[in-house]
Amino acid sequence: MDASMGAPQDATTDSGIRVPACAGPEHIRPGVDQRTGRPGEFPYTRGIRPGMYRERAWTIRQLAGFGTAADTNARYRKLLQGGATGINGVFDYPSLRAFDSDDPRARSDVGRGGVAVDVRDDFDDLFAGIPLDRVSVSLVSSQPIGAVPHFAMFARAAERRGVAREMLSGTSQNDFLMETAITIAPEALPPAGSFRLECDLAEFTLRSVPRWNPVSVSGYNYREAGADAPLEMALTLAHGQAVVRELLNRGLEPERILRRVSFFLDAHNDFFEEVAKFRATRRMWAHWVRDELGVKDAASQRFRFHVQTSGVTNTARCAQVNIARSMTQALSAILGGAQSLHVNGYDEAVSIPTEQAALTALRSQLVLLHETGVARSADPLGGSYLVEYLTDAIEDRAQAIIRQIDAFGGIVAATEQAWVHGELARIAFATQKALENGDALVVGINLHAEDDAQPIEAFEIPAGACERQVERLAAVRKRRNGAGVARALDRVASACREGVNVVPAVIEAVDADATLGELGLVFRDTLGRWEFPLW
Amino acid sequence: MVNALVGRKAIVAKLGMDAHWRGAIVVANALRDAGMEVVYLGHALPHEIVAAMLQEDAILLGLSSLSGNHMTECPPVLAGLRKAGIEDVAVVLGGAIPAQDEPALRKAGIAAVFGTGTSLKVTIERIGELVGEAELKRQRQHT
Repeated sequence: MDASMGAPQDATTDSGIRVPACAGPEHIRPGVDQRTGRPGEFPYTRGIRPGMYRERAWTIRQLAGFGTAADTNARYRKLLQGGATGINGVFDYPSLRAFDSDDPRARSDVGRGGVAVDVRDDFDDLFAGIPLDRVSVSLVSSQPIGAVPHFAMFARAAERRGVAREMLSGTSQNDFLMETAITIAPEALPPAGSFRLECDLAEFTLRSVPRWNPVSVSGYNYREAGADAPLEMALTLAHGQAVVRELLNRGLEPERILRRVSFFLDAHNDFFEEVAKFRATRRMWAHWVRDELGVKDAASQRFRFHVQTSGVTNTARCAQVNIARSMTQALSAILGGAQSLHVNGYDEAVSIPTEQAALTALRSQLVLLHETGVARSADPLGGSYLVEYLTDAIEDRAQAIIRQIDAFGGIVAATEQAWVHGELARIAFATQKALENGDALVVGINLHAEDDAQPIEAFEIPAGACERQVERLAAVRKRRNGAGVARALDRVASACREGVNVVPAVIEAVDADATLGELGLVFRDTLGRWEFPLW
Repeated sequence: MVNALVGRKAIVAKLGMDAHWRGAIVVANALRDAGMEVVYLGHALPHEIVAAMLQEDAILLGLSSLSGNHMTECPPVLAGLRKAGIEDVAVVLGGAIPAQDEPALRKAGIAAVFGTGTSLKVTIERIGELVGEAELKRQRQHT
């Protein structure tokens, strides 16, 4: 490394890339113009559209979900009235994991961290009064075991209201790594089984729900669990590549898949490294699509992504200062060319956001979009010596990790062999040690930790939400035809065992009022249960 | 290494269905660095946690939750430990725990609450004291 880089402690990014005190042309490898190109042109380093936000503003998509479907419906409406332009619906822990609200394991988490859903009727209430033919809906059904039934319930609820499947627009998060490496839970599916469900849902929606993004390949959650920026990029890209390859094997045309696969990244604290990450990831995807798959279609090469600001960077002490952190992180996402954004509520280190915190976060986005002028010009940091240097450097690092993953035999194998878990846990521990040593500084934690701010009020889910949900579920169990449910679940089990796409059978089952937990049990019994290799 | 902790056994468990493992694993690593033998139980129901405490004869139980389920999940764990006659252990809780919940948790028998942002240094030091106290109780019972 050349002398202009300075002493390491002053001169490295969060992930350890050395940076100069002042970057100049001497830090940029030849060929930078070709590597960056123009916005809307290959390799899309500078953004996926020539006019970026002048052509289309990013979607203001604030995460929401708690209590029962009726509770969450009211929050969705409030956010839409307040300027949100899409729905970002998160489910409670049991619903994500396909456990019913009356399961003994679920009872203390019903309506926590998201909305409780058990049967198709819950989706009627969840989206009541929301024009599903016009508002796009991101279902944060992170884990395939829940994502498949959630989508079936959502699509049937919409159809029963007269909104045809073809009209639905939105996203299923649908990510096997969420199930097998990120959100530990009892009775996870094994990686291969979870990946198969993910691809079943993706295949089904690609064939019959043309405006649906079948997978939101997540980097966000790996980052929050411990990954640094290059590992976040590598896991995202390696997973995206695996999904696309599997769907190609299933006979779908590449353009059909690639135009609809979408991504989900973190916006963390290290501002310029994050901007570089967004730019480099976009470029790497475009190169893979063109160079590895040989796909020339421009729309297929465009890496479209949602961003959420970083939850782990937020502090419970001096919580109001999280507004400043989130705003800076959000700015990096916009300068990095995101298509869709969620800004965290300032109180989320303590609880899910109060209405006040959620609306403040929403309004922060409106400030960025309408007051600051940052959306005026595409890729405003393009050509900055520092940002171009970092974009190249982080690409090299991520590429090296992808090669490592490929050496395992791909992302599914790397997960089965616990490499993913080991890396996340290792970096998470190192990050905490850096904080303890004072190598990293966090206001309110190891820098000016005196808490002079007003204590914040924790959000409480509406009283009796769990009981109401369990009663609703009991009523559905009572009214339905038990023999019909059993037959429908048998058909789902057969589809699982025979390796045919499970989604049509799941749609029939939700129409027979099979519950999420019953479907989850069928998936576990047929696809297996897996012990998390975390320790 | 922390003298009071060397060679002692800890169980680390996640409450309910809360999905966030980062904090629990980071603390489990720190306990191991301090010399403890750590059994990472992952998710478990209250009676399963109690059964594991009995079977492993652990002196420390570290519970973790960031989902907000701590007020419903902690009391049955503590009641189950009492019912099983396990008194000479330290039970601690970490995660996203609002300050207003602490008094009730302490009253139920949680010896220490380590909320978001607590350093490992503070956590391990306090656990060292608590395990030392539990050890004294054990010695008194045996004499």
